[in-house]
Amino acid sequence: MNKRITLKIAGIERETNDIKTYSFKHSLNAQPAQFIMLTDFEGGEKPFSISDCTEDVFSITVKRIGEFTTRLFQKRVGDYVSIRGAFGSSFFVSQGKVLLIGGGYAVPTFYFLSKVLKENGAEVTLINGARTKDEHLFSEKLSKLGIKVINTTDDGTFGEKGTSVDITKRMLNHHSQAGAWERENGKMFDFVYVSGPEMMMKALQPLLKDHDYEFLFERYMKCAIGICGNCTMDPLGIRLCVEGPVLPKKLVEQLTEFGQYHRDATGKRIKY
Amino acid sequence: MRKRLKTKFLGIEVNLPLVLPAGIMDMSFSGLDISAKNGAGIVTSKSLTLEPRLGHKGPVVAEFESGLLNAVGLCNPGIVDGLTEINQFKERSDTPVIVSVFATNTDDFSKLTNHVNKSRGDFLELNLSCPNVFDEFGIPLAASKDEVFKIVKAVKEISRLPIIAKLSPNVYDIVEIALAAEKAGADALCMINTVGPGMLINTKMVKPVLFNKFGGLSGPCIKPIALKLIYQTYSALNIPIIGMGGVTIGEDAIEMIMAGATLVGVGTAVYYRGIEVFDKINREIIEFMDENNYDNLEDIPKLEKLK
Ligand SMILES: Cc1cc2nc3c(=O)[nH]c(=O)nc-3n(C[C@H](O)[C@H](O)[C@H](O)COP(=O)(O)OP(=O)(O)OC[C@H]3O[C@@H](n4cnc5c(N)ncnc54)[C@H](O)[C@@H]3O)c2cc1C
Ligand SMILES: Cc1cc2nc3c(=O)[nH]c(=O)nc-3n(C[C@H](O)[C@H](O)[C@H](O)COP(=O)(O)O)c2cc1C
Ligand code: FES
Repeated sequence: MNKRITLKIAGIERETNDIKTYSFKHSLNAQPAQFIMLTDFEGGEKPFSISDCTEDVFSITVKRIGEFTTRLFQKRVGDYVSIRGAFGSSFFVSQGKVLLIGGGYAVPTFYFLSKVLKENGAEVTLINGARTKDEHLFSEKLSKLGIKVINTTDDGTFGEKGTSVDITKRMLNHHSQAGAWERENGKMFDFVYVSGPEMMMKALQPLLKDHDYEFLFERYMKCAIGICGNCTMDPLGIRLCVEGPVLPKKLVEQLTEFGQYHRDATGKRIKY
Repeated sequence: MRKRLKTKFLGIEVNLPLVLPAGIMDMSFSGLDISAKNGAGIVTSKSLTLEPRLGHKGPVVAEFESGLLNAVGLCNPGIVDGLTEINQFKERSDTPVIVSVFATNTDDFSKLTNHVNKSRGDFLELNLSCPNVFDEFGIPLAASKDEVFKIVKAVKEISRLPIIAKLSPNVYDIVEIALAAEKAGADALCMINTVGPGMLINTKMVKPVLFNKFGGLSGPCIKPIALKLIYQTYSALNIPIIGMGGVTIGEDAIEMIMAGATLVGVGTAVYYRGIEVFDKINREIIEFMDENNYDNLEDIPKLEKLK
């Protein structure tokens, strides 16, 4: 049985105007990319990825976007919330040279992943993208991990100018012309992880065709235990709350709805 | 091996006796498809309404020791988009589909039936029994034999497809209601819908766990209720029954069959045993048949009918 746990908010950290990190004292034992369902019993139970997890503390990083997250933003340290989880698949822990490409509130998930990869001896490069400086996340926290971070903003107000897609293109191009090994293998990283807005992931997919990768997806979730079917992805019927949210290359390549449409709370298809 | 599980339901050959019930893994054509690929012999759509419905705010499910409580609130994309998913499923699968529809009056049920007539669905199921929309719609139709009779009769007159009436367990006299459905022309019954409703309380925050406060019970805790109601109904009626409610292992399915069910629904157990649950139970049914020397599904005996 998946027991519901009711916890006091132990810490709140403001990351940007619209993003806060909430920490909880609890041994959740979650892996990178897994998520919890969180409720305050005032209407709504929503999925949030784990942005850090140690033996006795875990955190989530939340973007204020609508009714539920706005209410969450008003909560204080000591207020109760109730959670279920952690649910879903987690990222493969690769060794060797790995590239992480993240955008928006997906970056905190990559903070957690980077820590785990580093502990396992991987050589981590992370492209940390945002639209503009004020929305750029976790650059300080990430810099302390001892990994290679490439900061980018679409408008050039912080780090390199360009989208994560532009930077990836430049980087892969540059290197595959430079080294003999890369020319032969067509790849310069042992594994690539992608997490961010779906159209960003869609644009990255052809650039990564020679690499092995995993993508982190989002779909509308209700039950999170694999029965309501709201989060399935066509045409495979993959339940993102059980078999996802991380999907490997061989499955990503078969998804016809990827970058085309998703389903809303009624199950209606919404085009991207 | 699997050939031994073949059966007939309302004139249609069904390869496997297990049914994916309404509300489980059925919001997309691919959800229906993965269930069929994992051993469901018939799949049912989400209960579709004329207009799209958001359903209730979360939490919409709550787990407890012996089952689930749910108040999803009939979220669905509406009959038009829902039928598109079903038609797309039929392009890739021969598995028969039950189209489940929900309304609160004869007019709307008739409109839904006209839509379903033009679809590739194989059966039409009337959800007369959702317990989770009480605030909006009041007591379920399945609580009144007169309402059940009126609606089934009206739909029967215009439906191109055989009709299944989905009944509620939350009534005093199930036989009276089932007989009304049969008399009005229902071709089969599906029972039971969720039990209760019931509730759970979060003691730290002093709040009901479900935002809707109340929700229908499903899973192992409702099996004895389902068996009793199916047995009573089987004893009194001549139309076939899709039996469901807490079926989790092969032996549960055998009990349903012995109580009088022709086909057996498996819903909540998808959570307990994964989407592979259908094939697991199919295998367990065959094991039971081997142990007891039954060649075919039809050889499994039924209980002697109640007098
Ligand atoms: C696996 C997964 C992990 C996520 N991780 C994070 C995270 O770490 N940080 C974060 O800020 N957000 C995360 N989200 C998104 C987050 O769940 C939504 O932003 C949140 O539910 C919005 O609720 P709202 O009421 O404030 O906004 P609303 O106005 O209700 O919705 C705004 C948008 O949020 C999305 N959304 C709303 N409800 C859900 C739901 N039940 N399931 C999925 N998406 C929904 C929809 O795209 C919707 O258009 C994640 C979503 C998924 C599926
Ligand atoms: C999450 C959930 C959603 C459901 N939605 C519907 C529905 O839309 N229409 C319906 O007729 N029954 C619905 N049901 C009831 C099931 O079809 C079934 O009758 C009931 O769950 C008992 O079977 P089980 O114990 O195998 O789950 C739902 C059940 C659950 C658990
Ligand atoms: S959210 Fe219900 S199946 Fe994934």
